[in-house]
Amino acid sequence: PRPDVHPLPPGTNLLFAQSGRIEFVPLESYDMKKTKAKTVLHLPEKVIIGVAYDCVEKMVYWTDITSPSISKANLQGGEPVPVITSDLESPEGIAVDHLGRTVFWTDSMKDRIEMATLDGAQRRVLVDTDLVNPRAIIVDPVRGVMYWADWNREAPKIETAAMDGTNRKVLVQNGLGLPNGLTYDSQSSLLCWADAGSHMIECMDPVQGTRRKVKEGIQYPFGMTSYGKNIYYTDWLRDAVVVVDRHAAKETDEFLPQKRTRVYGITMAHTQCPSGQNYCSVN
Amino acid sequence: DSTVGSPRDCQPCPCPGGSTCAVVPKTKEVVCTNCPAGTTGKSCELCDDGFFGDPLGQDGPVRACRACKCNDNIDPNAVGNCDRETGECLKCIYNTDGFFCDRCKEGFYGKPLASDPKDKCKPCSCSPYGTVGRQTSCLQVTGQCTCLPHVTNRDCSACEPGYFNLRSGTGCERCNCNPIGSTD
Repeated sequence: PRPDVHPLPPGTNLLFAQSGRIEFVPLESYDMKKTKAKTVLHLPEKVIIGVAYDCVEKMVYWTDITSPSISKANLQGGEPVPVITSDLESPEGIAVDHLGRTVFWTDSMKDRIEMATLDGAQRRVLVDTDLVNPRAIIVDPVRGVMYWADWNREAPKIETAAMDGTNRKVLVQNGLGLPNGLTYDSQSSLLCWADAGSHMIECMDPVQGTRRKVKEGIQYPFGMTSYGKNIYYTDWLRDAVVVVDRHAAKETDEFLPQKRTRVYGITMAHTQCPSGQNYCSVN
Repeated sequence: DSTVGSPRDCQPCPCPGGSTCAVVPKTKEVVCTNCPAGTTGKSCELCDDGFFGDPLGQDGPVRACRACKCNDNIDPNAVGNCDRETGECLKCIYNTDGFFCDRCKEGFYGKPLASDPKDKCKPCSCSPYGTVGRQTSCLQVTGQCTCLPHVTNRDCSACEPGYFNLRSGTGCERCNCNPIGSTD
C-alpha cells in the first residue's frame, strides 16, 4: 500500500476532490469524523473536478481537466483505470447510474452531455444543443431521469431529461446566478442546488414544481451532495466542506482540509446501494 | 527505504518548504504529500488550478504561482482557465482569443481589452454578396471586411456611388447612366 493514500474505511464516507487528490471524511450517522479524514487517491499532476461513486463495484469515478479524461479506481488502493480519454475538452460534472451500469458527464467546452458504459464503451452524446456552461449532473435511475445545471451567466438554468436525452425540459430559470452544485435526494424527492451567484441553497420537488429557499448568504459553493437531513457542499472561498441541515436551514459543521486550496466535486460513498429497481426493468 | 539497513536509507524529502513525502512502493517514485500553499505536483512543481508559474524554476528562473492573466476575458467561475505552467489562456470569453485573450477571435473585431464587454469583440457580419470569397473574417480593430470591386462599407454591404447589383456576387457594376439625363 502507498503511504500517502489510505483505503476507504467501511461505512458511509464523503468523497471530495481537492486539486490532484480525492479525500474522504467518514460519517457517523450524519456527522463528519473530521479527525479520520484522509486521502484515498493522490494524482499530483491532475486537476480533478467531478467525482461520482459506484456503490456496486465500490469504485470512484472522476473527471480530470489537465489531460481531459474520465477515470476510475477502486477505493482499496486500486490504480487509476482510464474510462474515456478522447474527444473531451473540459469534462466537469459526472454521475454514475449504478443500476444501468453507465456513467454520465458534462463537458463545458464541447457543450455536451454524454454517457457510456462503465468501461467506456457504447459512448453516446445525449444533449448537444442550448448548452453553454454545463457543470453539475445527477441521475435518478429509479425514475429514469437526469438533471443538470448550466451556469451560463446570460441565462443560467437547471434542466431535466430522460436518461436517453429525450423529454428535455427546463425546470428552473428564474432567480438563478451561478448554479454550480446539484443534488437529488430520492427519499424526499427533492432536487437541491447551490448557487455561487445568488449565494443560496434552494430545493424543489421536480414533479410538483414547488420551490423553497434552504439557506441564504452562503459564500462560493462548487460541488454538492446530500444524505438524509444534511446537505454537504464544497466552498471555493472557504476552501472547506460545509454541512447544512436542510430542515433546520442552518449550517451545522465545516471541514477544513489540511491543504488550503480550492475544493471541487463532492459525493457520498455508501457501503450499500440504495434499494430500487431500474425503471427499464420495471417497464 | 528504511529496510535496507544502510546509513543512507532515509533521505530528506525532495520537496520545497519542508513538505512531507511518500515513496510509491511499486515505482519507487517519491511524491510530495504536503506542498506549500498554491502548489501541487509530485515535487510541488505545479501551480493550483487557476494559477500559473514555475515555482521550482524547472524551466528557467523561478516564477511564483499567480492568477491566470487573461485580460479579464475569462470567467472566474470556470475551471482550467489557463495552462498551469505557461499561463496560456484556455477559456477566453466575450469572443476573444489568443495567448492572453488579447485579441478577437476569427470572425470578430473590436477592442478585446475594453472594460465593458459590449465594447469588446463584435461579429464581422461581412455581407456574403459583397465580400471576397464570402469570407467571414475581417480586420481585427476596424472590422473592415475584404470587399469585392466597387463594393463599400465596413461589412461590404453596399455599392460605391455610381455602381449597382451587389447581389451579382462578383462586385458592383457601373450604372452607365447617361450623364445628360441623370440627376446625380
